[in-house]
Amino acid sequence: MRRVLALIAAIALTGALVISAAAAPAVTPTRGGTLIVGSGVDAVTLDAPMITDSPSATVSEHMVESLYRLTPEGKIIPMLALGHTVSPDGRTWTVRLRTGVRFHDGTPFDAEAAKFNLDRMLDPATRAPFRFLISRVTSVTVVDSSTIRLVTDAPFAPLLAHFTHSSVGMQSPTAVRRLGVDYARQPVGTGAFKFKEWVRGDRVVMTRNDDFWGEKAFLDEVQFRVIPDDGARVAALEAGSIHVAVRVPPREIERLKGARDFTVSIDDSLRTIYVGFNVTRPPFNDVRLRRALNHAVNKRAIVNSALNGTARVSDAPIVPAVEGYSKIMTYEWDLERAEALLREAGYSRARPLRAVFHHPSGRYIRDAEIAASIQGLVRRAGIELELRTMEWGAYLALTNRPQPENDVQMYMLGWGTVTGDADYGLYALFHSSNWVPTGSNRSFYKNDRVDALLDRGRTTVDQAERNKIYAEAMRVIMDDAPWLFLHSESQVTGIRHTAQGVVVHPAERIELFKAWLRR
Amino acid sequence: MWAYIVKRLLLSIPVIFGVAFMVFAMVRIVPGDPARIIAGEAATQEIVEGIRKDMGLDRPLLRQFATFIGNVMRGDFGRSVRSKAPVAGEVAARLPNTIRLATAGLFVAVVVGVSAGIISAIRPYSWMDTVVMLVALAGLSMPVFWSGLMLILIFAVWLGWLPAVGTGGMAHLVLPAVTLGMSTAAIIARMSRSSMLEVLRSDYIRTARAKGLAEAAVVNRHAFRNALIPVITVVGLQMGTLLSGAVLTETVFAWPGIGRLLVEGILARDYPIVQASVLVVAMAFVMVNLMVDVLYAVVDPRIHYD
Repeated sequence: MRRVLALIAAIALTGALVISAAAAPAVTPTRGGTLIVGSGVDAVTLDAPMITDSPSATVSEHMVESLYRLTPEGKIIPMLALGHTVSPDGRTWTVRLRTGVRFHDGTPFDAEAAKFNLDRMLDPATRAPFRFLISRVTSVTVVDSSTIRLVTDAPFAPLLAHFTHSSVGMQSPTAVRRLGVDYARQPVGTGAFKFKEWVRGDRVVMTRNDDFWGEKAFLDEVQFRVIPDDGARVAALEAGSIHVAVRVPPREIERLKGARDFTVSIDDSLRTIYVGFNVTRPPFNDVRLRRALNHAVNKRAIVNSALNGTARVSDAPIVPAVEGYSKIMTYEWDLERAEALLREAGYSRARPLRAVFHHPSGRYIRDAEIAASIQGLVRRAGIELELRTMEWGAYLALTNRPQPENDVQMYMLGWGTVTGDADYGLYALFHSSNWVPTGSNRSFYKNDRVDALLDRGRTTVDQAERNKIYAEAMRVIMDDAPWLFLHSESQVTGIRHTAQGVVVHPAERIELFKAWLRR
Repeated sequence: MWAYIVKRLLLSIPVIFGVAFMVFAMVRIVPGDPARIIAGEAATQEIVEGIRKDMGLDRPLLRQFATFIGNVMRGDFGRSVRSKAPVAGEVAARLPNTIRLATAGLFVAVVVGVSAGIISAIRPYSWMDTVVMLVALAGLSMPVFWSGLMLILIFAVWLGWLPAVGTGGMAHLVLPAVTLGMSTAAIIARMSRSSMLEVLRSDYIRTARAKGLAEAAVVNRHAFRNALIPVITVVGLQMGTLLSGAVLTETVFAWPGIGRLLVEGILARDYPIVQASVLVVAMAFVMVNLMVDVLYAVVDPRIHYD
């Protein structure tokens, strides 16, 4: 066991993906018991297409499955689908579905059910926030009881990755129709666990689905408990009231290292943290200033001090676990270079570059502290930043204004590429058709070359070819520096030794499908 | 007395109406687009507009207010814009938790606070008085998120006597009640002490002592009840505060009460949740104040309401 733990620690330290399941000792798992996960916030809704947050998705994915699944290793594997074929023109997808699967309420999962769910997500009246994932689909038809055919308006390569997203989950049409708006509080899927109860603000409880089509879960019951306070959540783990504590504050890692009863697992996340510049307005319409800021910030120091080393300095706008990633570059921490660029643009110590930097507080791990660090670091290069800390709702509204009225100069944000595909991590953020409020390009970045490349990435089916396209696009983006590239977050999770097989998925999910309790 | 109670209840209607208008206006003045918050950063503008329409936010403000008041009159608080759950159910589920915690917290506060205050007052400026008042000052000054965590650390992590967080049986109530009660106890202790000191200096106490009554009888029978009036005022006010949700205590102990519901509602711009929680809290405040006034008459027979 000690060697296994040492191995876990070693992998965690190198920042690699740690899956406790993979490192689990060769002991036969025992059935039974209730595993309790302490989560920071409650689920918001459990109606799959309405989910936008990872706590809701974590809970939902134990009950509601999608056609495909993104494994923690970043592979796409069939789930409720068995496989698919794409027509030579790339516009018609024929998906074969798993047979003999039933929803928890007994309704059969078949082509009609799959069509129902896809049509529901596509219906604008559903108001599915992630409708855009499959919005290129123009029709869904039932071929036979276990086959559906989808037609898209143009070839759309990311579709397969998008089918893994929790919001494209397959839910019982009977239950959705019968419960209407109340369905969101009692979901019915095909997953390894069935819904039992949801005491709002307190816990969601699920029980094992003994009729599950795949390998059945070991646990009798799973509870996701809401413990909002970081310190209390860690204390609950130490006291043994919960088996898993999510989002352990990085500052606690040192103290918890010597703990006998649990390990602290550090896992990659698909979330990139960055500071965006408004590239359409002075001062940051000057690429030299954007590069100067990139050189003026010591990202390694931020990762090591503010985040206790639990993050990875960005070398691309997306993280390695995303399909389409390649290492592009990191702006070296080089104050002389930064100052030279500033001088070139007409700034000096006597006439420093001044800008207003908006950032949220409490949204991302240590966001306000990181903003303050950036302020301090760039001052050494003669850049004066004025910090504006904002509450999330107000911040979102402020940064989401259309270009003509958007005067935000610098803003801090994060983006989780939860589909595991580069398209989702780049298109919405850098394509000029996606300027806010339409998409999520808050920098109002526009580069025709990048637009063309991102469009090609969408329509190219060959993955090796796509990887090249995205590498090229990211090179241009990083050179243009519409962002101050910072880091990708890590997930710090406390797991008691009695809880085995707990998986921390890079999409910021805790997975308990194969978890079991050691007696 | 009954006429007074009815009059007070009638008077509370404009108060509640005013609160309803204020909270309705305030949640809308606060910057932030609820539809965008619900839809998340990634959703398209088209979806956001759709959600805004569903919420009725595209209609004129006065019409929105009229609809809101009309629905509330019929007991319909609407549905949470995020979870789609009926708001009345959400509030009803949290309210008993809040009442339980507030009552238990107040019980701790009154028992500890009044005893400490009286002990101090009997021997003013003695070492005991100093110690008790220092402890009270500490209780008042300690932030709940620190004292709460300390209690969890000692009694749940180290000693393992009590559950760390969450709801359940009586055991779950102990730590949050003590945490919540501590700061309130300090206020009550200081109030009881000064009130008691004042009473003990009054003429009728001198008379009671002069006729040879034992000190215990003087304190218990003559001073205590008279010293209670200002204490009741403070207790009443504190009860109102506790009912409005001890947000910090609820957060530290993962206690699903109305305070957390309200704060989460504000952060998510969940207008119906905020409106309903604030209205319920306002009603609780009005009721507690009325109860306090009625209690005055019970404690002090000289007070009449006609």
